[in-house]
Amino acid sequence: MIAENTQTQMRKGILEYCILSIISRGEIYASDIISELKKAELLVVEGTLYPLLTRLKNNGLLSYIWKESTSGPPRKYYQITSEGMEVLKRLDVTWKELVFAVEISLQNREI
Amino acid sequence: MNKTIIININSIVFHIEEDAYETLRSYMIEIKRHFGNSEDSREILEDIENRIAEMFSERIQTGRKEVINREDVDQVIAQMGRVSDFDVEIDDEPRAEAEPKAAFADQAEQAEPQQEESKENKEQNADFGFTEYLTSKKLMRDMDDKVLSGVCSGLGHYFNIEAKWVRIIFVLFFLFGGSGVLLYFVLWAVMPKATTRADKLAMRGEQANLHNFKKSFDEEMKGVRENFSGAGEHISRGARSVGNSLGSFFSVIGKILGVLVLIWAGLSIIGMFIFFVFNVLNIMGYTNDLFFDPLEVLDPTSAFFAILAGCAAIIIPLLAIFFIMLRVVFKTRPMNNYASMSLLAAWIVSIVMILYFVVVTNQDTNQESTISVEKTIEPKDTYILSENDIRVIKTTDEDFNNNRENGFKVGSLVGNYLRKDISLNIEPLDSLKAPYLQYNYFAKGGSYADASNRAGKINYSVKQEDNNIYFNSHFTLQEKQLIRAQHVHVNLFLPVGTKVIIDENLQNKLREIETWNCKAEGNSKTSEWIMTKSGLKCILKLEEEKAKAEEERLEELKEQKKEKEKKAKEEADETKKDKTEATSEDKESSTVDSNA
Repeated sequence: MIAENTQTQMRKGILEYCILSIISRGEIYASDIISELKKAELLVVEGTLYPLLTRLKNNGLLSYIWKESTSGPPRKYYQITSEGMEVLKRLDVTWKELVFAVEISLQNREI
Repeated sequence: MNKTIIININSIVFHIEEDAYETLRSYMIEIKRHFGNSEDSREILEDIENRIAEMFSERIQTGRKEVINREDVDQVIAQMGRVSDFDVEIDDEPRAEAEPKAAFADQAEQAEPQQEESKENKEQNADFGFTEYLTSKKLMRDMDDKVLSGVCSGLGHYFNIEAKWVRIIFVLFFLFGGSGVLLYFVLWAVMPKATTRADKLAMRGEQANLHNFKKSFDEEMKGVRENFSGAGEHISRGARSVGNSLGSFFSVIGKILGVLVLIWAGLSIIGMFIFFVFNVLNIMGYTNDLFFDPLEVLDPTSAFFAILAGCAAIIIPLLAIFFIMLRVVFKTRPMNNYASMSLLAAWIVSIVMILYFVVVTNQDTNQESTISVEKTIEPKDTYILSENDIRVIKTTDEDFNNNRENGFKVGSLVGNYLRKDISLNIEPLDSLKAPYLQYNYFAKGGSYADASNRAGKINYSVKQEDNNIYFNSHFTLQEKQLIRAQHVHVNLFLPVGTKVIIDENLQNKLREIETWNCKAEGNSKTSEWIMTKSGLKCILKLEEEKAKAEEERLEELKEQKKEKEKKAKEEADETKKDKTEATSEDKESSTVDSNA
C-alpha cells in the first residue's frame, strides 16, 4: 500500500512537470500531449490527462484557445502562461536538485 | 440487423448501436461519478466528451461505415481509460491521500500546501460521490415488478426501500383521506417506463462501476457492507412469502377500486351529458326543470357556449379518470397522443371560456339602479294579504274575464319574461297616517343608464279589492332582455293597530316574519297579525303571552296567599309554643318550690 502511494506521488509530480515542459514548447493539442507521454511510457490512458490539464489551467499555469478542426469538432489548443513559465523554471531547478540527490543516494546501489 | 440510436455529443450527431450506446452511457456515468459535480469536473467531462466525439468521427467513414458499434466504443474506452485506470496514475482517489501524511511524515513540511489542497479536493469528492449516488438514479416505473403500473416499485428503487413498503404506505394514504390516489396518478403520469436495459440500470442506480465503488471503501467498510446486505437478504427472504400474498391481495383490491372508480366516472359523464342536453333545450326555448340558473345572465348564444365550456371543463377530467381506470383494470392500450393532447387543449379552452364569461358578465353588472314608486292604498282596519299566481287562470273567480285576459297575456310569455325575485316587507306607520305601498325596482348593468333602463322595464303591481290585497306571484319584463339581477322589493306601510291576515302562499316573498309560527290549530291557511310600533306581531302569540302573563299573575297571587297563610300559621305556632313553655316553667318552679 505504502509503496503504491509513493509511486503515485512520484508519478504525479513528474507528470505535471512533463506536461508543463511539453506545452512550453508551443501550443499543442491534448491528444498530441498524450501521444508524447505514451511514447515516454508515463501515461497509459487519455482520461488521466484532462483533470490534470484542467487543474493546471485553473491555477493559471496554462491557457487554451479553440481551433477549428478538419476532421471533427473544434479542438482545444493549450499554451503555457508567463506564470507557468516561471513555475516551470523553478521546477527545472528542483528537478536538477532532485536528480542530484537521487544520484547521490543511489550511488552505491545496483538498480 | 441492429437497432441504432441517435446521440449528440457536444452538438455532433452520431448513429450508435443500442448495446454500444448502453456501454458508452454507463461509462460516462462512471466518469461523471468519479469526478463529482464541481465546476472543474464539468470542464473535464466536456473535454472527455469532446475527445470521444473526435475519436468517433475519426472512425466514421461516410458511405462505408456510418454507425458506431460496440467495438468502436470499447476501443475508445480503452484509449480513454477506465476510471480504475485513472486511479493508478494519479491520486484522485481518497484512499491514496489518507496515508501519505503518515508515510511521508518527514516531507510533510515541504508538501504542506499541496496536501492541504488535495484534502479539500478529497472532501469535495466524497460529498459529490454521495449526492451523485442518489441523483444518478432515475425515477422510473419498474415494469418487471408491478401491481398496477410499477410506480411503487420505481419509488422503492429510488429510495432504496422494498417496493411493498411503498405500496403499504400508498394504501394507508388512500385509506386516510384518499390523497394517495391523486399522488399515485400524478406519479404515474410523470414517471417514465423503464423499458431498455440502460433505463433499468439507471433506475436501480447500478452502474458498471460497482467494483470502483467498492474500491473506494477500505476493508473495514467492505466488511460492514457485506454484513449489512447479508442481513437485508435474510430479512427479505422471510418477508417475501408475506409480500407475495400481499401483492396479490393489493392487486385484487386495486382492481375492485378501479372498477368502482370506472363506474363512478362513467355515470358522472352520462349525468353531465344529460344535464348538458337539457340545458341546451332550455336555451333553445324548450323549457324544462333542469336548468342551470346562472346561465340566464347570458344571451342564448353565449349561454350555449358557456354551458358547453362548463360541461367540457367537468367531463374532460372525468374522461381522463375513466380512461386511466380502463387502462388499469383492463390493461387496454393508452389513448393516442393526439387525442389526449387535443382533449387537454379543449379543457384549457373551456376553462378560459368560463373565465371570459364570468369577467364579461361581471363587467355588465357593476352598476346598480333602483326606481322607487309610492302608491297610496285605501285605508281599512283589516287587510287580507295573499299571492295571486298569475300563471293560473282562475275560472271560479268573480272577475273571470279580467283574470282570463291576464292569464292569456302571461301564458304567451316565455320563462325568461316571468321572474320571481320579489320580496315584501310590512312596516309600521304612525296610526294617524294613511297606508301606502312602496315599489322598488332593481336592476344591474354595465352603466347606470343601462341599469335604470332595465329597472324601468319591470312590470309589477299590487291589486287592492276592498280588504284584499293581491300580490302578483311574478313580475314581467316588457321585452326579452338579459337577466341582470332584476328584482322587486315591496314595502307595505300600515298604521299601528291595523289587523293583517296573511295567506301562507305569500310566505315566499316575506323575509322578516314567519307565518307558520303563527297558526291556530285547524286553520292552516292563514295567520293573523297586528301592527305595533316595532312591526307586525302575531295575534295568537300576543294572546298566548297575555294568557301566560295572566296565569303567572294568578300564580303569583296564589303564592302570595300561601305565603301569607304560612306566616300566619307560623305566628300562631309561636304564640302557642310560648304559652306551653310558660306553663312548664311554672310547673318547674312549683316543684322547686315544693322541694325547698
